Amino acid sequence: MALKIVVLIKQVPDAEEIFIDPVKFTLNRSQARGIINPADENAIEAALKIKDETGAEITVLTMGPPAAETALIECMGRGVDKGILITDRVFAAADTWATSLTLAAAFNIMDDFDIIFAGESTTDSGTGHVGPGVAEFLGIDQVTYSVNTKVEGKNVIVERSLEDGIEVVNVPMPVLITTLIGSNMPRRSTLRMKIDALKKGITVMDHEKLKLPPEWVGIKGSPTVVGSLKIPDEKKREGKKYEVEEIPKLVDDLIEKGAIKIGDA
Amino acid sequence: MVELRGCDPPKNLDEYRDVFVYVQHKNGKIERGSLEMLGMGRELADKLDEKLVGIMVGSDLSKVAEEAANYNCDTVIGIESPDLKTFSSVPFSHFISETVEDYKPNIFLLSGTREGRDLVSRIAIRCNTGVAADCIELDADKQNRLLIAWRPSFGDKTIDQILCRKHRPQMITSRPGSYKLPEKNRRKEVKIDIRKVKVPDKMKTVRVVEFRPKETLDLTTAKTVVSGGFGLGKPEGFKYVEDLAKELDGVVGASRPVVDLGWIPYDHQVGQTGRTVRPHLYVAAGISGKIQHLVGMKDSEFIVSINTDPDAEIVKYSDFYIHGNLYDALPKLTEEIRKRKSGSKNKV
Ligand SMILES: Cc1cc2nc3c(=O)[nH]c(=O)nc-3n(C[C@H](O)[C@H](O)[C@H](O)COP(=O)(O)OP(=O)(O)OC[C@H]3O[C@@H](n4cnc5c(N)ncnc54)[C@H](O)[C@@H]3O)c2cc1C
Ligand SMILES: Cc1cc2nc3c(=O)[nH]c(=O)nc-3n(C[C@H](O)[C@H](O)[C@H](O)COP(=O)(O)OP(=O)(O)OC[C@H]3O[C@@H](n4cnc5c(N)ncnc54)[C@H](O)[C@@H]3O)c2cc1C
Repeated sequence: MALKIVVLIKQVPDAEEIFIDPVKFTLNRSQARGIINPADENAIEAALKIKDETGAEITVLTMGPPAAETALIECMGRGVDKGILITDRVFAAADTWATSLTLAAAFNIMDDFDIIFAGESTTDSGTGHVGPGVAEFLGIDQVTYSVNTKVEGKNVIVERSLEDGIEVVNVPMPVLITTLIGSNMPRRSTLRMKIDALKKGITVMDHEKLKLPPEWVGIKGSPTVVGSLKIPDEKKREGKKYEVEEIPKLVDDLIEKGAIKIGDA
Repeated sequence: MVELRGCDPPKNLDEYRDVFVYVQHKNGKIERGSLEMLGMGRELADKLDEKLVGIMVGSDLSKVAEEAANYNCDTVIGIESPDLKTFSSVPFSHFISETVEDYKPNIFLLSGTREGRDLVSRIAIRCNTGVAADCIELDADKQNRLLIAWRPSFGDKTIDQILCRKHRPQMITSRPGSYKLPEKNRRKEVKIDIRKVKVPDKMKTVRVVEFRPKETLDLTTAKTVVSGGFGLGKPEGFKYVEDLAKELDGVVGASRPVVDLGWIPYDHQVGQTGRTVRPHLYVAAGISGKIQHLVGMKDSEFIVSINTDPDAEIVKYSDFYIHGNLYDALPKLTEEIRKRKSGSKNKV
C-alpha cells in the first residue's frame, strides 16, 4: 500500500507587494499577489521526495478564499495527486484555534493518512501554531522544524533543526511534520501536469460538508481578536555618504557619535 | 474520527488568577527568553496583584527549580519523571495542560523558542484558549484583568494588538531578545513544588536517536554585527567581513542568499527567517536591504552600509553609507580602526 500524505498549504500575499495606505493608515493586502507560503513550498517538496522514493499518494489541503485554487493547481502541477479547498464565508477571520479545528475536520472526510506535512510558519501572520494545533485535534505526534524526513517501515526518521543543534527522532506514523523554511529546493510545476490538474479539478468543502456549526469557526469561533494596529516608528536615518577615500573621516564620525569606541574612551 | 468541538469559554473568568511562565532549561541552565518572561511576568503580576508561578518539566529538577526561584517567583512548579529528560511535544503539553486546568492561571507566558512554539499551540487547543504569538510588548489592563499583547505582522510592517477577552489563561509567546533580563531576587516565602508524574507508554512514541550539537553563535546578544551579503560575489569574501568583525569585537552576520549558497552556516543569517538582532552597531556589506533582511536588523542603534549602488534600499536605513566596492572599503575600514586603536594605546 502506498503511503498517504497530506500537505497543508496556505496562500499568502507576496511580502514585497504589501504596503501601508498612508491616508487610511491601513494595510493593503488585497492588491498583493498571492503566492504559496514559502515554508509550505518545502513541505510540498518533502512530500514529493517521499513519493519519488517509495511511492505515495499526496493530497494538498488549504483553507482560504476561492482564489486559493491556483495554489492547489500549482501543487498538482508538481506531482501532487489531489487538491482540497476549504472555503466558506463563515471561516473568515479565523484565528489559529479555529483554523486548526477547521483543517482537522477535513480529516473526518478524507481517507486515513500516514504523514501530514505543514510549513513551520507563514510569512503573513506567522504564528507557527496551525501545524501543532491540527496534530492536537487529531491526537497524533508531531515533529517540528524538520530539515529531512526518511520513511523506514512504519516509522519516520526526522532531522529537526534546533537552536543548538540537529536532533534526530524516530517516530511511528501517523505523524505531523512541519518543515523548516529553506530546507530543500522545491521543484517547478510542468505546464502539462497543470493542464491535467485543471481537467481533474479539485474538491471543495464548506462548513456543512465539514459538519462545523458556524459559531465554532471563523471569527466567532476564535478566542483571540486583533485589536488596534500600530505602524512601528521608523528611526530616521541620515544615510550620510562617504567615498572609500573618506573612510578616515567616517571613522572620526563613528567615534564622535559613539558608534564605535576606541580604547577606554 | 476526529472529535470536533468549539472553543467554549469558561463561565467564571474570576476564578482564573496568577501569571504562569514556562521555564525552558537545558543542562541545568535556564533559557534566556524564559528569564525575560520571568521578568515580564513579575511586572504583570504586580500590576494585577497576582502571583508569579514558574512551571518547568524535566527529569531532575531540584537544582534548576532553585535557580528559577531566584527570579522573583512566588511558586515554582516542577513536573518530574525520568521519561521527561528530553523535550517531547505530547507528554510535555499533556502535563502542562493538566496543571493549567487544575490551577487556572489568568496569564501564561512562554518564550518563543522552537520548543516554546512547538508546545504552545497544543496546550491552547487542549485548554480552550487563544495564543498571541511572537509578542514584542506586553501590558495589563488592571480593571479588566486583561493582558494586552502586541505582535508584529507582515514582516514587521505593522504591530497588532491581540486580545483574548473571554478565554483563560491568556497565553502568549514572546520574541526572545525583545525584553530586559531581570535581576536576581529571591522572595523569602517562595514555594518549590516538584511533582513526580508517570508518563503513560502511549506518550513515549517519539525517540530521540541522536543529537548533533553545533557551534552556538548568539547573534542576538552581540554588541556589534558585521554582515556580508550577495555582493561579496564569492565565499572567500567573508574573510574581509571577519577581519572587520574581529577588529570591532563583533560577530559575523549574513543575508539569506549567501547562507542558501552554503558560504556561511545558517546561524549567521539575519532577517525574517534568521535572527532578529539589535546591536549597538550593524555593518551591512554588499547587502541590498530587502524587507526580509531589514526586519532582522533595522532597530540597531547605528547602521553602516557598504554598497556600490547608491540607490540600494539599505542606504535609506543607514546612518552612514560608504559608496564603493566592499573589497576596497572593508580592508580600509579595518585598517583605519586598527590604526586608531594602536594610536590610542600609544597615547596612554
Ligand atoms: C495581523 C494578524 C495577527 C494575527 N495574530 C494572531 C495571533 O497572535 N494568534 C492567533 O491565534 N491568530 C492570529 N491571527 C490569525 C491567523 O493569521 C490565522 O489563524 C491564520 O489562519 C493562520 O495562522 P498563520 O498564518 O499564523 O499560520 P501558521 O501557524 O504560521 O502556519 C503554519 C502552517 O500551517 C499550515 N496552515 C496555516 N494556515 C493554513 C490554512 N489556512 N490552510 C491550510 N494550511 C494552513 C501551513 O502549512 C503553514 O505553513 C492573526 C491574523 C492577523 C491578520
Ligand atoms: C519568505 C522569505 C524569507 C526571507 N528571509 C530572509 C532572511 O531571513 N534574511 C535575508 O537576508 N533575506 C531573506 N530573504 C531574501 C530577501 O528577499 C533577499 O533576497 C535577500 O535579503 C537579498 O540578499 P542580499 O542583499 O545579500 O543580496 P542582493 O539583493 O543580491 O544584494 C546584493 C547587494 O550588493 C551590492 N554589491 C554588489 N557587488 C558589490 C561590491 N563589490 N561591493 C559593494 N556592494 C556590492 C549590490 O549593489 C546589491 O545592493 C527572504 C525571502 C523570502 C521570500
